[in-house]
Formats: sequence, C-alpha cells, structure tokens
Amino acid sequence: MIRTVPPGMLFILGAVLIPLLKGRTKQIYLLVIPVLAFLDILQLEAGTSWVYHFLGYELIFCQVDRLSLVVGYIFVIIGFLALLYSLHIEEDGQHVAAFLYVGSSLGVVFAGDYFSLFAFWEVMAVSSVFLVWYQKEKRSLDAGFRYLIMHIIGGCSLLAGIIIYVVNTGSIAVTHLGTSPADIFILIGFGLNTAFIPIHTWLPDAYPEGTVTGSVFMSVYTTKTGVYVLARCFAGMPLVAYMGGIMTVYGVLFALLQNDARRLLSYHIVSQVGYMVAGVGVGTELGVNGGIAHVFNHILYKALLFMCMGSVLYMTGKRKLTDMGGLAKYMPVTAAACVVASLSIAGAPGFNGYVSKGMVIASAAQQHMPILELMMVLAAVGTFLSFVKLSYFAFFAPNEEIRAKESPLNMQLAMLMTAFLCVLIGVYPEVLFRVLPFQPIHYHPYTPGHVLGTVQLFLLAGLAFMVAKDMLAPHRGTVLDFDYFYRMGGRGIVWVCVVPLSNMRFRLQTSSSRTIDVITRIAKNPIMLLEIPIAYAYFRITQGLRYIGGYSSSEMYNENLYRRPIGVGVLVAIIILFALALIYFIL
Amino acid sequence: MKKTLKRIFYLFLILCIPAGFLIEHEHAVFFWHKIPSIDVVFGFLGAMLLIGGARLLAHLVHKEEDFYD
Repeated sequence: MIRTVPPGMLFILGAVLIPLLKGRTKQIYLLVIPVLAFLDILQLEAGTSWVYHFLGYELIFCQVDRLSLVVGYIFVIIGFLALLYSLHIEEDGQHVAAFLYVGSSLGVVFAGDYFSLFAFWEVMAVSSVFLVWYQKEKRSLDAGFRYLIMHIIGGCSLLAGIIIYVVNTGSIAVTHLGTSPADIFILIGFGLNTAFIPIHTWLPDAYPEGTVTGSVFMSVYTTKTGVYVLARCFAGMPLVAYMGGIMTVYGVLFALLQNDARRLLSYHIVSQVGYMVAGVGVGTELGVNGGIAHVFNHILYKALLFMCMGSVLYMTGKRKLTDMGGLAKYMPVTAAACVVASLSIAGAPGFNGYVSKGMVIASAAQQHMPILELMMVLAAVGTFLSFVKLSYFAFFAPNEEIRAKESPLNMQLAMLMTAFLCVLIGVYPEVLFRVLPFQPIHYHPYTPGHVLGTVQLFLLAGLAFMVAKDMLAPHRGTVLDFDYFYRMGGRGIVWVCVVPLSNMRFRLQTSSSRTIDVITRIAKNPIMLLEIPIAYAYFRITQGLRYIGGYSSSEMYNENLYRRPIGVGVLVAIIILFALALIYFIL
Repeated sequence: MKKTLKRIFYLFLILCIPAGFLIEHEHAVFFWHKIPSIDVVFGFLGAMLLIGGARLLAHLVHKEEDFYD
C-alpha cells in the first residue's frame, strides 16, 4: 500500500523539477502534480501523521479532519484549474512561485502545530510576492514590496503570539484560542492575511499588479488560509463576526468607486471574505459550515473573475473599465464566463454563491445578530450592483474602437471548467454539503421565500442601477484607502531618515573624523600633548599676523617639523618610571 | 431585443411585489422578516444608500491618477 504524504509537499518538492522540464512534458507535469495531490487527499484518513520531534515539541505536518479536508479539496481543484489557465506561460519562475505558494498554503491547512504553521505561513508570503514581481513593471515592484512589508509585520505579530502562547501553555498544538494577549497577537497575524479592516490595504494594492495568471492564484490562497485558521482557532468570537460584517460593506463601497477591473475584484475579495469571517465569527454549526462553504464557492467564482479580467488584459492590454466595452462580441467565452461568475458572486439562485451566502446570513439571524444580518444584506445588494457595472462596462457598453481576439485555448478551457463548477454547486448543492465540516446539514437553500427574497433584492437593485447608471460609471483616478496613512507615514519615516537623521549622521561623522585625526596626531607624537597650549597660542598669533600681513594660511602638516629627538622620549619614559617607583615605594 | 429585455425586466419587477404577499418567510426571526416583500424595500433603498454613500466617499477619497507618484 502506498503511504499518503502531506499534500503540500507534493507541490513544494514538485517545484524543484519544473526548471528541468521543457515543452509539452512540462505542461503535462504541471497538471499531473495537482491530480496526484487530489488523489492523495482522497486517501488521507482522519488523525495525525508525519509527526516529528523537534526541540522537545511535536511538529505535525498532516493533521486531517473534515475542516482541513474540505479546504484541501478546493485548494487542489483550483490549483489544477489555475495551472491549466497558466499553461502557456514559459517563465519557469512563475510556475515555481505558484507551486511553492499552493504547497505552502496546503501546508498551513494540514499543519497540526503552530511552528510548522508559521513556517508555511511565511513561505506563502515570500513565494506569492514573486507572482506580483513577475509582472516586471515599476508599480508591480513597488506594490510587491508594500505587500511583503505588510506580511512581514503580520508574520512578526503571529510569531510573537505563538512564542507567548508556547511559553504560557507549553504546547504548540493548533487549538481553539480566546482573548489572552498571546491570542490577540495571533489574531492580528491571522487577521492581516484575512484582510481585516484597516490592515487590508495590501490586498487591493498588490493583487491588481500581479501577472495575468499570478493574480488568479493570489485571489485564492492567502485570504482563504486566513479564514481557515480563523475557523480553527477563533470560531464563535463576536469581534470576528462583526469584523466580517464591516468587511462586507466596506469592500463593496470601495469596489463601486474603482476603475481598474482587477482592483474592483480585489475589493470584492475583502467583501466576500467578510461573509466567511462573519460565518466563522457567528460560530454555530450553520455559521462555520456557511463560512467554509463560502470559502469553497468564492474560490471558484473569484478565480473565474480574475481569469476573465486576466484574459481581457492578456488579449487587449486594457485594465481599466473606461478603456473597455463591447468585448462580448470579440471574446464570447470570456464574456459568458464573466456573467456566470458575476451571478455567482452576487448570489443569484442557481449559482454557487447563492447557497453559501444564504447559509451565512441565516446563521447571523439564527444567533439574533440583526445588525450583522442587515450589513450582509446591504453588501449583497452592493455586490449585485458592482457586478452589473463590471459586466456592463467591460463587455456590453458601446465601444466602437476596441478590437480583440478570444484568449488561448487553455485559458478558455480553464474558464469553462470553473464556470461549470459554479453552476454545478448552485444547481446541486448536496455535492458541497457532503464535504462540509459539520453533519448533518439542516439548511435548504431553495425555499420559495428565500428564492423570491433574493429575486426581489436583485430586481430592485437592477432598477436602481438603471436609474443611477451614470453615477456608477467608472472614472479615471486613484481612490485613497487606509494605505494613504501607511504611505504618508512611510514617506514621513523616509523624510526623517533623509533630512534630520542624515544631517545628524553627517555632523557626527565630521566630529568623529576630527577627533580621530587629533588622536592620530597625538599618537604619532605624544610629546605634542604638552606643547599644545603653547602651539595653539603660537598658531593663533601667527594666524593673526598672517591675516594682517595678507598671507595664505593653507599650509600642509609636516610631521617632521614637530618630531623630537628620541632622547626626549626616553627622558619622558624615565620620568614616568621614576614617578611610578616613587608612588610604589612611598605608598 | 434590448426593448424586449427591458419589458421582461419590468414585468418581473411588477410581478415580484404581489408575489411576496403570497409567500411567507420560513424562519422569521426579526420583525422585518414578517413584512411581506420587505426585500423590495431593502433592494431599492440599499442600492440608493450605497450609490449615495459611494458618491459621498468619492468626494473625499477620489484623487488624480498620479497622486502617489
């Protein structure tokens, strides 16, 4: 019997071989690894395996339960689809970065202890930044650095929390946490990856600057591993639930202002992750199931949306809605896929988003959290508006100037397969319900009241869009977010370094150079020390006379001028020895 | 084609309101769950609130494209 391995290891070790392969072999290899990983996950049994002893602690690389399995399934499925979408990419570095990113995300999901979780967490941050940098533009480089700085800060918080936790409890096992100082540090670390407001800015900053294919990967893994660890460690925390509610509305509101298509999608990640966080924060079986179901569904439709907008960017070079329009005629597959993804994210009946979003909203109502429920309903309306806007201005708005071709076959195939999964889960939700963490599931998405309520919500939001279409039209410009404070703060730090600190350094350097110069001169001729007052007085007088006489004062230092015969040095040594002997004998 | 689609849209819009009076919320928790066709109000008011909020926000945070350069 073949022993199962931690699924992440297949990707991480698999990345090593990518540069050695070429052409078709490489393409097949890229698709075989996720298939093997999926088969591996199917064979995993509940419990812990791949346990290693390290410094008296147990490192667990493969902790399997229903929660890790469901997230593992979708991570591998979308890994396959995203690799299919990026099959035409010839740069090995991009594939290696993607493999390490997927592998480390799976590593976090199956980690049973905080040490290995942290290690995979950091690999995730470092590998994913290359998916931004491979875009090879200045703005991508800058955004990548900002992304990395934010994640390093989050990582430091997580590490600080883990260290305090381990010192306090003596255990490194990943378990449910509370509100102790250590837990709060860990929550901040997890919250940064989950795009908690106001530490979310790395997400809409970096994701739109990634490569066409890299952004598809990025839209999936970082935030969803964040939700996963929240579900494992902070389920049922009201603070988390309300943070989720704020994220849903905040993301939607900022998305409505965006002109860059992929930035609009990035703000919707914040909003949709808000639903998941809210579900996890509610903490009931329905809430956690709903949150995790939304992880599953969101990964599918959000990756599909990034695939569609990536496809438009790849084929037309256009990233802003003001430059798009009329693309449905030239890119019908991309347009159809985008409509399916838009209906899915909006939560239209028959599409996957409808199923899980309903579960989360119902869980908030069930727990008597009216504000949370209303925030999520409001965000659902905004999501619908936002995606009517995106689909309309990208594909259907009149634009006579644009010309384009449909994207390569592998990209089309990936989009169609992902769209199919969105519809499949929407029409037949049992396929998803069967793998959710808590069983049995007492939730029926297709009740008449629920379907009609959603239809009413969308029809009236559609009417509002028709009335206020011009107000929602995209405009060129930059929308400031909390990153304004970080960037201005950063510039302030740079200013402090460049102006006052640099001046201080210059002054210190000058004065220390002078001091060293003086010490050097004295060391060359210690007798001079005795002569300094005389020499100084002489110097001042001669300077004064020279000034009066109009002579130049620039004269090179000549050490021979001040050198004394060796006998003087011997005399000084004898005097000092005599003084020492005197002190010794008298005292 | 465009006109037909619009007509169908308005027909659904008109029909969905009375339909709400025929169907009850299955698991009413809050008082608004018991109001027939309340999602019509949520849909329209919510959309207007968001559009208005977004316009207001735009006045505060919308800057020129090279703001950070």
